Amino acid sequence: MNKAPLDGIRVADFCWAWAGPYGALQLAHLGAEVIRIESTTRMCPSRLIPPWADNIQQGYNRSGYFNQYNQGKRSLTLNLKTAEGLDLAKKLVAKSDIVIENFAAGIMDKMGLGYEVLRAIKPDIIMAALSGYGATGPESSYVSYGPPQVALSGMSSLTGYDDGVPRQAGFSYGDPNGGVHGAYAILCALLHRAKTGEGQYIDLSQREACAMLLPEGIMEYVMNKTQPPRNGNRDPYMAPHGVFRCQGDDRWVSIVVRDDAEWQRLCAVMGKPELASNAQFATLAARKENEDALEATVTAWTRGRSAEEATQQLQQAGIPSYPSLDGRDLLANPQAAAREFFVEFEHPEVGKRRHLGIPWRMSETPCTVQRPAPMLGEATEYVLEQIVGLSHAEVVALREKNVLV
Amino acid sequence: MPGRGLEGFRVVECGDMVAASYATKLMADMGAEVIKIESPTGGDSARQRGPFPGKIPHPEKSGLFLYLNTNKRGVTLDTEQTRGREIFHKLVGQADLLVHNVHPTAMAAMGLDYAELAALNPGLIMTSITPFGLKGPHSHYQATDLTLWNAGGLCYLNGGGPGSEDLPPLRAFGQQAGFQAGIHAAVAALGALFARMTNGVGQHIDFSIQETLMAISEFAGIMPSYANQVVVRFTGNKAIRPLDIMECKDGWIYLCCVEEHQWKGFVDIMGNPEWADEELFDTRLHRAENWDALQVLMEPWVKEQTVEELYHKAQARRIPFAPVSTMGDLLDSEHLKARGFFAEIAHPEAGTLSYPTAPYKLSAVPWTLRRPAPCLGQHNAEVYGALGIGAAEMAQLQQQRII
Repeated sequence: MNKAPLDGIRVADFCWAWAGPYGALQLAHLGAEVIRIESTTRMCPSRLIPPWADNIQQGYNRSGYFNQYNQGKRSLTLNLKTAEGLDLAKKLVAKSDIVIENFAAGIMDKMGLGYEVLRAIKPDIIMAALSGYGATGPESSYVSYGPPQVALSGMSSLTGYDDGVPRQAGFSYGDPNGGVHGAYAILCALLHRAKTGEGQYIDLSQREACAMLLPEGIMEYVMNKTQPPRNGNRDPYMAPHGVFRCQGDDRWVSIVVRDDAEWQRLCAVMGKPELASNAQFATLAARKENEDALEATVTAWTRGRSAEEATQQLQQAGIPSYPSLDGRDLLANPQAAAREFFVEFEHPEVGKRRHLGIPWRMSETPCTVQRPAPMLGEATEYVLEQIVGLSHAEVVALREKNVLV
Repeated sequence: MPGRGLEGFRVVECGDMVAASYATKLMADMGAEVIKIESPTGGDSARQRGPFPGKIPHPEKSGLFLYLNTNKRGVTLDTEQTRGREIFHKLVGQADLLVHNVHPTAMAAMGLDYAELAALNPGLIMTSITPFGLKGPHSHYQATDLTLWNAGGLCYLNGGGPGSEDLPPLRAFGQQAGFQAGIHAAVAALGALFARMTNGVGQHIDFSIQETLMAISEFAGIMPSYANQVVVRFTGNKAIRPLDIMECKDGWIYLCCVEEHQWKGFVDIMGNPEWADEELFDTRLHRAENWDALQVLMEPWVKEQTVEELYHKAQARRIPFAPVSTMGDLLDSEHLKARGFFAEIAHPEAGTLSYPTAPYKLSAVPWTLRRPAPCLGQHNAEVYGALGIGAAEMAQLQQQRII
């Protein structure tokens, strides 16, 4: 069997929080050796946020958030505020293929680790900078977190219930989306380097990555100077198209009818075949016209059964449907479990926990999560001795000088 | 392999709606040569969805289709007919990548059989983007963007909240399951392409949309195994506040104070009202606990501000507020203009329109807009001609509705 696709590719990962780490996670999933450069003097915020294993906040290694999005990576601690720390970071870059960071624009330059500096050390380095606004433009110095990016990108102005307030999508949806677009750009740069030998600099704006997902809104404005109304879960071309209450506490099922034939089948499943010929609902136009009544009819059926039972009956009739999974449902999902999607490693501090894995299977270059998320600084000796080439005595001396914190 | 970026790589796409089309759009934008195969009867269903100029449906004027298919060439082909299948094999025989989002129950009939295609082209990388993956108890389930957003655990996280408890979980606008599948599948496919440059192997990628969404489920997917808790609708359940949308005089703004200095700066901008000194609001956790009270105190002041003014005032103090941008705000944004985020191209039917370009700038591989989205079957003569199919046979194929 062949090795994973990016086996032998090394990533110096200066990322923190979520966007950058999610991008670097894709590279780890593809088999790259991703080395996080961390420091207690500038702790990654995601080591400091819950959920904590067993709700115990202690040290830096118990956050589920961190442990989910940093699977398969290594951790080196370096105090970049010391000259020696900065020098070691550069030496690691010299042995790396890719540098990825997601500070606000300009911060890496200020730290003395800007692209021009790194390119002088490693001429074919690929450096990806992920920031909220991008590295150029009048607002490039503005600060941005994942949650406001959803609003900034335009997505919130399109998301919400009928006539209601604009709504958040996800919580910090701008982060993973920015991260994965960054990973894509890095892969393009890697292929370019493989063909030409040339490295390059990538400037990514997370806000723009989010706006890429909104063509139905943007193009309507471009064409007509209007934008689609916020309309809950409804769709202009399909009805019913919604999430319906089921038996139980806060249990819901999503159901979509794509055409009139599916509507007729839905009527049969609901035990109301006579509805199929009812002019109030027979065509898409009629169902859109009477959508409140339509949804009430569907809810009358769904609330008498579990989301799982409704899904099973609807899928038997070939109608798109699925329970609205909560976190617990998600980790117990039989489909994902059958595909061995979940990852459970023994972690030195938090033991065995269920994590979300890799959403693709490759037939010839299998991608697997190699190890649990790293404990802070777990690979410091490994990186400095095996990769940078220091002696053990040199590492001990650096540790005594508080460079490796 | 010549050229910059993805130049020189050949991609065949059998895409409908968003997932496969977005993956290959991203490749085409970076220089790959993408041929999109559509059914001769109507083509990609995105053509039917709009938005349309003047809201008048027209298969060559859908904004969604035009955006998703820039820089590609398009052919029509019925791969279920014998001669159509032979032509499909010729196209795939020359391709580096095949990307599709045909449902698993329809793949065989369309000729999307990896073993058969690999026998013709051992270096082929075939990416199958399907709702639940190719195997497992739900792999045959029917799905749409909305049902997948629920199957991935994301829908459950939004909507509801105080005063709206009876409302259902709320999706994000548009075709988000499709877009996430597209970008993640593009990452996987390019990873496999990179591997092939060193080991020469082609392969089959089995890509699950449900799993992609699970993988971005934020706190929701890990809360149970770490803290034995379930995340219910973020709207009413935030540990830190303000992280909220609030109404201004002329629109909406996202208020975000995560760090203490950000809150203090905002209080100063508000003119240091007396209530801000209350113990109830002295930490970000307390502000979240007492949000009902705090919200009522903040709202009247925020309602008197204009979005732009409050946004820039806050940012001047490094407080990460953001406008709730409308589509018009995006098109008019001086920042996005300066970055060249929108570009115009003329299309024979839809005319000259602005399109979002790319969220990244690669210093050695400039983003280029080389051609608009193809009209249905626009490149049949060019593409099939290159396969050695002459005008007479082309006419025959057309008559048999194979192309």
